Amino acid sequence: MTAAVARPGSKTPARRNVERVPWIDWMVVPTLVVLAVVIGYPVVYTLVLSSQKYNMLDMLPPKYIGAANYHHLFVDPIFWTSLENTAIYTFGSVVVAALLGLTLALLTESLTGWRFRSVRALLLTPWAVPFVVVAFLFRYMYLQNGGVINAVLLDLHLIDKPVLWLNNSALAMPAIMVANIWAMTPFFFLLLSAALAAIPNEVIESARIDRAGIWSMVFQIKLPFLRSALFVSSLLMIISNFNDFAKIWAMTQGGPGYSTTTLVVYVYRLAFENFNFGYASAIGVVWLILLLVFAFVYLRALRMNP
Amino acid sequence: MSVFRKSVGTLAAAASAAAMLSALATAANAADQVTITFANWAAAEGATRPGLDNVIAAFEKENPDIKVVNQAISFTEIARQLVLRVRSGNPPDVAEISGNDTFLLAQTGKLAQLDSYLGADEAGKLKPASIDGFKVKGKLIAFPWTLASAGLWYDKAIMQKAGLDPSKPPQTIDELMKDMAAIKKSEPDVIPLGLDTTNRAFSLISNWPWMKTFGADPLAKGGATSDAMKKYLAWMRDLAKNGYIDPGRKIGEFRPQIAQDKVAFLWDQVLVQGVIQSTNKMSDADFYKHYGVAKQPAGASGKSYSFEGGHQLVMFADGKHKEAAWKFINYLATSPYAIEHYTLSYEASLPPLQKAPSEALAKKLDTPVFNSFLNDIMPTVATPPYGPQFAAAATAIMAGVQQAVTGDTPIDQIAQSIEQNLAN
Repeated sequence: MTAAVARPGSKTPARRNVERVPWIDWMVVPTLVVLAVVIGYPVVYTLVLSSQKYNMLDMLPPKYIGAANYHHLFVDPIFWTSLENTAIYTFGSVVVAALLGLTLALLTESLTGWRFRSVRALLLTPWAVPFVVVAFLFRYMYLQNGGVINAVLLDLHLIDKPVLWLNNSALAMPAIMVANIWAMTPFFFLLLSAALAAIPNEVIESARIDRAGIWSMVFQIKLPFLRSALFVSSLLMIISNFNDFAKIWAMTQGGPGYSTTTLVVYVYRLAFENFNFGYASAIGVVWLILLLVFAFVYLRALRMNP
Repeated sequence: MSVFRKSVGTLAAAASAAAMLSALATAANAADQVTITFANWAAAEGATRPGLDNVIAAFEKENPDIKVVNQAISFTEIARQLVLRVRSGNPPDVAEISGNDTFLLAQTGKLAQLDSYLGADEAGKLKPASIDGFKVKGKLIAFPWTLASAGLWYDKAIMQKAGLDPSKPPQTIDELMKDMAAIKKSEPDVIPLGLDTTNRAFSLISNWPWMKTFGADPLAKGGATSDAMKKYLAWMRDLAKNGYIDPGRKIGEFRPQIAQDKVAFLWDQVLVQGVIQSTNKMSDADFYKHYGVAKQPAGASGKSYSFEGGHQLVMFADGKHKEAAWKFINYLATSPYAIEHYTLSYEASLPPLQKAPSEALAKKLDTPVFNSFLNDIMPTVATPPYGPQFAAAATAIMAGVQQAVTGDTPIDQIAQSIEQNLAN
């Protein structure tokens, strides 16, 4: 943090300055204290709770049970279903939204002036809608009785009776993912549009002089330039979707059955409906480890692509 | 000029003295006044807040030594908030609570026992059934504020259009299925039966009477895989496959729909009358012509059941002003003013008293709906085995019910998975 500056006249400036660099910069202490209180303490406390039997309703002190909560986790089918659902929801949504965002960015790239501004404003609208509003919007659109999606499909004679979008075990997850993709695509569109604009004109002009076609221009020239933006934005969205609670809770509350129960929904039910904080914390620890892996990859990616 | 100044000075001194005396008197009054906190969801809902504010104002006028501070917490949040507040040593003096949440809170051991406050005379005035259900280890832990059991509401206009006799609501599950088939055929856009099939503790409470009428008890040993439970699950699947129910919706979502003749039968509490009338602005006379309520159609067990969904009032063991809190609880639940201006007007529910405390109230309680609940439905109330296990079991059981209603997984397999998740 502190820059080591050699003082004129000193005999061994480099060595002395290295010795003088403090192991901690005192200016960051307040930040470290705040982080320790708001992040460090909850994380450590969650780790401690995960090794305890602790139900808030018992009014008994937590009891140390070692790794019993983790052992239970391995034989709990709902945990594995939740983990699988989390993976499907997260990766499915991010991959589709990234592809859509990329396509839209490429399609609108040639637009300039007011046209570009209007199209961009329109495409960014879903990103401005709060997640809970998105969830309720789609929930009402999916309704069996009175939902606009079923009404349109019935009018077009594409279906002969209303589809239970959110109340069919096979359709509920894809239906929520559609809402999530709708809300998330503008984020990719925005980042990738910016990355496209940053491609040096010389590169594009050289490719044109070499008579590169549309596809080779996209795959050979533009995509390599977009790779790092795509990678970093995808990682950010993976972390964000891993924690997504509002949309799923507002649309299905994890049902029907457990078909849309993700880790965050399961932890919420265990902790705040059953007050079983010990077991919920054990799942929280696993969840934290998974997120740390993504965060580590994200940081590495940032370092490699400054 | 100096005379004027003197007069002004005298006046200012007199005014200051008066202000000081007044402040001292106010401080003395404030020192005598007890402030109690009341955590409830009635204040969080626009429909009930004015009624509650009015009743609290009337209580404070009658009891100038008690001030009530209203703490609005939403219905879905109140149990969590209260448990956390109890754990952190900061409970309110009085709280509104209902269903399984009452027993979750009792599990903390921090609810005040009300037996010592409830005198024999006062206890004798209450319907025995209204307090029997709130005893834990023989001790009364909650006081009934409103009674709101559930019955089968029926829309007479829809029944008539479907060629059914509106004076004869279905008495058995078979009759119900026949009536729903007729309604579905004549009016395909109408939801034949409004039933809560969400995954939450209230949904299990609401579905408990339907399980019972099939003879099922999923919380008993092996109950989830019993033949009775499988019959119940298969019936639920039939309802969904035939389009008789709209799965995944909360009971509250059907209330405005029955008010608009879009739901034929609704399994709901006594308070529905108030919601329907506030939606479609029907007069009482028109309402009784248009809607009726009956006890649950009996299933394989041959018996009808219901659940009690009314609201209770609790006070906390660590509260500092228990006498004042009890006075407030008693006033809210049993005073003629509170019954008339809140229980009947805003909750459209029944008071816990055996007899109406006045002629005027007796007249107000003499309606076809209240009579049906008092005489036919309330005697069929079956209280589920409430407690922490019930809350945990609700997720597993209702997830199974949802699987039956929305998927094609064999019923045997669903029953097995419920049993396995309950064991977990």
